[in-house]
Amino acid sequence: MSSEQQPSSAGSAAPRQEMLGAENYVQLVDIRKEYDGFVAVDEVNLAIRKGEIFALLGASGCGKSTLLRVLAGFEQPTRGEVKVDGQRMNGQPPYRRPINMMFQSYALFPHMSVEQNVAFGLKQDGMPAAQIKQKVDEMLGLVQMGAYAKRRPHQLSGGQQQRVALARSLAKGPKLLLLDEPMGALDKKLRSQMQLELVNIIERLGVTCAMVTHDQEEAMTMAHRIAIMDAGKIRQVGTPDEIYEQPNSRFTAGFIGQVNLFEGKIEDDEKDYISIRSPDLPAPLYVGHGVTGYEGMEVALAVRPEKILISKDEPEQPHNKAQGVIEEIAYLGSHSVYHVRLPSGKRVLANMTNVRRWASESFTWNDQAWLSWGDQSGVVLTS
Amino acid sequence: MNAVIGWLRQRLPGPRWLVIGVPFLWMLLFFAVPFAIALKISFSQALIAMPPYSPIVEWNDTALTLKLSFNNYLYLIRDNVYVSAYLSSLGIAVVSTAICLLIGYPMAYAIARMSPANRNICLMLVILPSWTSFLIRIYAWVGILKNNGLINNMLMGIGLIDEPLQILHTPLAVYVGIVYAYLPFMILPLYANLVKLDHRLLEAAYDLGAKPWQAFIKITLPLSRAGIIAGSMLVLIPVVGEFVIPEMLGGPDTLMIGKVLWGEFFNNRDWPVASAVAIVMLALLLIPIMIFHHHQSKELESKLS
Repeated sequence: MSSEQQPSSAGSAAPRQEMLGAENYVQLVDIRKEYDGFVAVDEVNLAIRKGEIFALLGASGCGKSTLLRVLAGFEQPTRGEVKVDGQRMNGQPPYRRPINMMFQSYALFPHMSVEQNVAFGLKQDGMPAAQIKQKVDEMLGLVQMGAYAKRRPHQLSGGQQQRVALARSLAKGPKLLLLDEPMGALDKKLRSQMQLELVNIIERLGVTCAMVTHDQEEAMTMAHRIAIMDAGKIRQVGTPDEIYEQPNSRFTAGFIGQVNLFEGKIEDDEKDYISIRSPDLPAPLYVGHGVTGYEGMEVALAVRPEKILISKDEPEQPHNKAQGVIEEIAYLGSHSVYHVRLPSGKRVLANMTNVRRWASESFTWNDQAWLSWGDQSGVVLTS
Repeated sequence: MNAVIGWLRQRLPGPRWLVIGVPFLWMLLFFAVPFAIALKISFSQALIAMPPYSPIVEWNDTALTLKLSFNNYLYLIRDNVYVSAYLSSLGIAVVSTAICLLIGYPMAYAIARMSPANRNICLMLVILPSWTSFLIRIYAWVGILKNNGLINNMLMGIGLIDEPLQILHTPLAVYVGIVYAYLPFMILPLYANLVKLDHRLLEAAYDLGAKPWQAFIKITLPLSRAGIIAGSMLVLIPVVGEFVIPEMLGGPDTLMIGKVLWGEFFNNRDWPVASAVAIVMLALLLIPIMIFHHHQSKELESKLS
């Protein structure tokens, strides 16, 4: 995962926030789901805004899919409440919910044509045939599949199947659209193209959307807000840039992108700065803002590799620096990743963007190099 | 020397031909040849001789004469006992196939939805009876259905009836026997089909507003069509020619073509008419077989394209 891309895509998501409406359009209150004593989802509280694309991100088995199935109505929560647009959803079977889902492997009906697949939900609602025809044409036009209306699903490519699945789940105009691993069945190149297209279609219709994914790049590209899940619990909710730049724990800092964690104790706790003494580094760590803590408190400073500057000469600043030996270099074209071993044995990652051609040639293996970062570059983590 | 081996290699059938050749030879020996013999006999005339029919090809002095007698076929049409036997056989076969489908579909569906461990036990229970001889199993039904048999004794024992019910030697007994004997042939192909059904398709249907019964009608049923057709053919085709069950459980008024054939062959010793009866039965069955085959190849085609 390239860490360069993430802040930029996160930045693009921020302005979208302003278009969003009602704060608590979809609400999950104290949701808990147990299977024979195993707790899959634990005390989850979430509020999704109207028109928002909300991603549940986590490793497999973290409970994100269970949560999605609770929303869809395939699972009933052991405890807690699900509300959509003020309506209580508990006890409602999936076929009575104003919620539609795009399934992971699309689950298109193999014995029906593209057209019939999209019309299925409308027929269930008892819509008159002429209206169904019009709606199906509109939906297939939206996903640019109008020319394939008579085909069967098995005659379509993976990307085309996904478009049909999207049209089918949008046809009924759901209050909430659920996407289960939307790009899971696509190859990498098609994935990035479809991610943006999917977002465009969803935003054009203004439909509220909850998606589940294990791919952080996908979550950051597509979602307005992300919830990081682990072991059935939500660890952090925020916009992609908040999650990346202001993780609230060692777990989320490590889960999204790459990070250097310097463990240490608060040495100096002032109103507008703190300093941390870490056994990993000879120089003290200096953070240019206050934190709610106390002297001697055990904390970690998280610094992303792209915020660490690598240089030949010793930087002038008295803190936030260390000298080490370059052990590994990963040249990735747009940037290089340097693995630097400090005298304490700590290994630190530092990225250097290759702004000049052949810039990577200035360092080689076993070179001594200085690492340094600004006093606003790190995040102090207490949990 | 090498040239000889090379020559042999080219001329002798390779392992690929062996694989294809064995079933081919089987079909030839046990289907094509007997069929040809029966076809030949059906065009000859009955004689009191050994064998009891006239030859159709004869060499008289200088002329080779081929004498095809259509008498036997005309006889089948003229005497309406044969026509009604065919119709009643087909009727019994269609009705019992429908009953097998009605009973077998829910059973196959339930087995396909079970946990794998329970599934194997239930499949075993479906197959287990066929480990006993077919004849013995049908004979056991005589003991169950007869006037002082299991059912009548039980019903009289609990005082529901005073006189035994006549079940054995009625059409009901024939249906009971046929459905019992052929149910596994319906369940197994249906099970094989239903177990492959992707549960997510049903979830997608619910999600789009279909109630469970609507999802069953619109998704499960059409997707299991191949299993329904396979199971129905496996029951329908052998039941049309069934002899043992109507003979043992049916009465004198149960008219089935298998019984007629037996009568022609063993009681009347009229081999040509018996052969004609068999050939017409085969021709009748060919129609459903061809429908089945046509459907299967269409299914295969749509999967490959």
